[in-house]
Amino acid sequence: MVRRMTGGKYKSGRANPWVVIGLTLLLVAAMAICSLFGAVDFEWEEIKDSPIFWQLRVPRVVMSVLVGAVLSVCGAAYQSIFRNPLTDPYVLGVSSGASLGAAVALLLGWGAIQWGVSSMALVTALLTVLLIYKIASIGNRMHTTTLLLTGVCFTLLISAVISFLMVMNHEKMDDIIFWTMGSFDPSRISWEDVEVMLPVSVVGIGVVLWYSRDLNLLLAGSEAAKSMGVEVEKVKRALLLFTTLMVAFAVSSCGVIGFVGLIVPHAVRLVVGSDNRKVVPYSMLCGSIFVLVCDTLARTVLRPGELPVGSLTSIIGAPMFIYLLYKSKKNY
Amino acid sequence: MIELQHISVNFGKCEILDDINANISEGHLTAVMGPNGCGKTTLLRCIGALLQPSSGQVLIDGIPVQNYSARALAQKVAFVRQQTQTDFDFSAFETVLMGRNPYQKRLQNESQADWDIVEQCMRKTNTWHLRFSTPHQMSGGELQRVMIARALAQQTPVLLMDEPVSNLDIAHQLEIMRLLRNDGGKTILIVIHDLNLALQFCDDLMLFHSGKLLYHGPINGGLTPNNIRTVYGVASHMADDRIIYDY
Repeated sequence: MVRRMTGGKYKSGRANPWVVIGLTLLLVAAMAICSLFGAVDFEWEEIKDSPIFWQLRVPRVVMSVLVGAVLSVCGAAYQSIFRNPLTDPYVLGVSSGASLGAAVALLLGWGAIQWGVSSMALVTALLTVLLIYKIASIGNRMHTTTLLLTGVCFTLLISAVISFLMVMNHEKMDDIIFWTMGSFDPSRISWEDVEVMLPVSVVGIGVVLWYSRDLNLLLAGSEAAKSMGVEVEKVKRALLLFTTLMVAFAVSSCGVIGFVGLIVPHAVRLVVGSDNRKVVPYSMLCGSIFVLVCDTLARTVLRPGELPVGSLTSIIGAPMFIYLLYKSKKNY
Repeated sequence: MIELQHISVNFGKCEILDDINANISEGHLTAVMGPNGCGKTTLLRCIGALLQPSSGQVLIDGIPVQNYSARALAQKVAFVRQQTQTDFDFSAFETVLMGRNPYQKRLQNESQADWDIVEQCMRKTNTWHLRFSTPHQMSGGELQRVMIARALAQQTPVLLMDEPVSNLDIAHQLEIMRLLRNDGGKTILIVIHDLNLALQFCDDLMLFHSGKLLYHGPINGGLTPNNIRTVYGVASHMADDRIIYDY
């Protein structure tokens, strides 16, 4: 993992273009193949003029790819910003904020309105993060440990509130639980959602890639990073702003898809080392492929029923990750 | 080159540094000494612009440190911290390479020159054989030497070192001190507790006593039994240019 020497020359810590091209080709192939399978299977010949394929299946596939990329990139960024391997993209309260908003919207009967639930979820997600951020910053600096603890506290508090709301409104319980478990069901995802998500993720991921070397230095500690030339407060602020926006958009349209943001960057790190110039782009592509495959399984395994994709990502991801950990242990 | 003008630092009601004024001589190796908690680290953090003093300012080459961009300051001042720990595995080589960050453009690759500088700095600090090791595989002293190599790789005229040799065995202490001594032209501020090591290798002394600068000048004139008693409350005498403690 750290052996970078070939014939006395060092290889750069930057992403290897061949790996990026290879993973991209793999992703494109996976998208082509996965979009054929679902509640209805398609043959190559019939997709041309099938509205079901183009209006329901393709946006779903694209959305799963975008969300996988966003969650993995944000996970990688958060783990470096907070210097904590246990952080995931939801740690600042985005997911709980979104769930609360969605629950309230569902209770108000907005489920039938287009964008009703997701826009409410987006607003509450951003408000929650803003509140946590305000509480945790002292003056114009933020203390990352306080930020994490505040995030965890709010997550617990909000899940208690949601439980309370569900108990008081038995009849809506299923809707709320189903929403929070996360899915790319066509009842939730259409081309319009993709049209919003695409620019958000491109810009957000671009920002993280732009700062990927600074993320390496942040891992050495804020003060060390600053004395090695990183504008720490500026970089952290930009990264937190864009990652939060990306995750908030992802969660508000697809619900909470757990585990991806935690394990994909770790799995990548176990293979290529900690350099974020590799970890961020590789995580983006691997996360896309991972969520795409999980969602394909989610809609095919129990046909015509569906599994929540959030539970599948955990069921498939956890054993894979444990295997990688076990294997890497032998290197020590 | 480094001017301290009326530096005071308070944390809440606690006064750490009280009106420090000094001109630090260019190219000198200056020992920063005093008992634990007397503000030595705080002073270094002020010079490295990691801490804004409650009042007063630090000038480097006539410009207040707060006015430098992080990048420009990182080309002037390198900082070796007391403890560094991280859970993520960068090899020693990658760690030292981070010291080249202030010279690299965004999204740009490291150059052969960067690699050569890293190798040179690692050889100087006797860490080249550790280049593939991760922090978990290194001892405290080895990690400390890697951190010193990283600071050297920044190629700055000013080096701030917070107890760089406290974790090292005597051979490596001497090796590092000799390296600092001979690394021509750098202005170095080093927090150090070993009085004799300081006496042997350093040019100047800044001696702190409860937040005040008690002595600043050539080290021979500063480490007197009288000053040692005032600052540390320890009786001592000089014999053969060595400080001997009287128990």
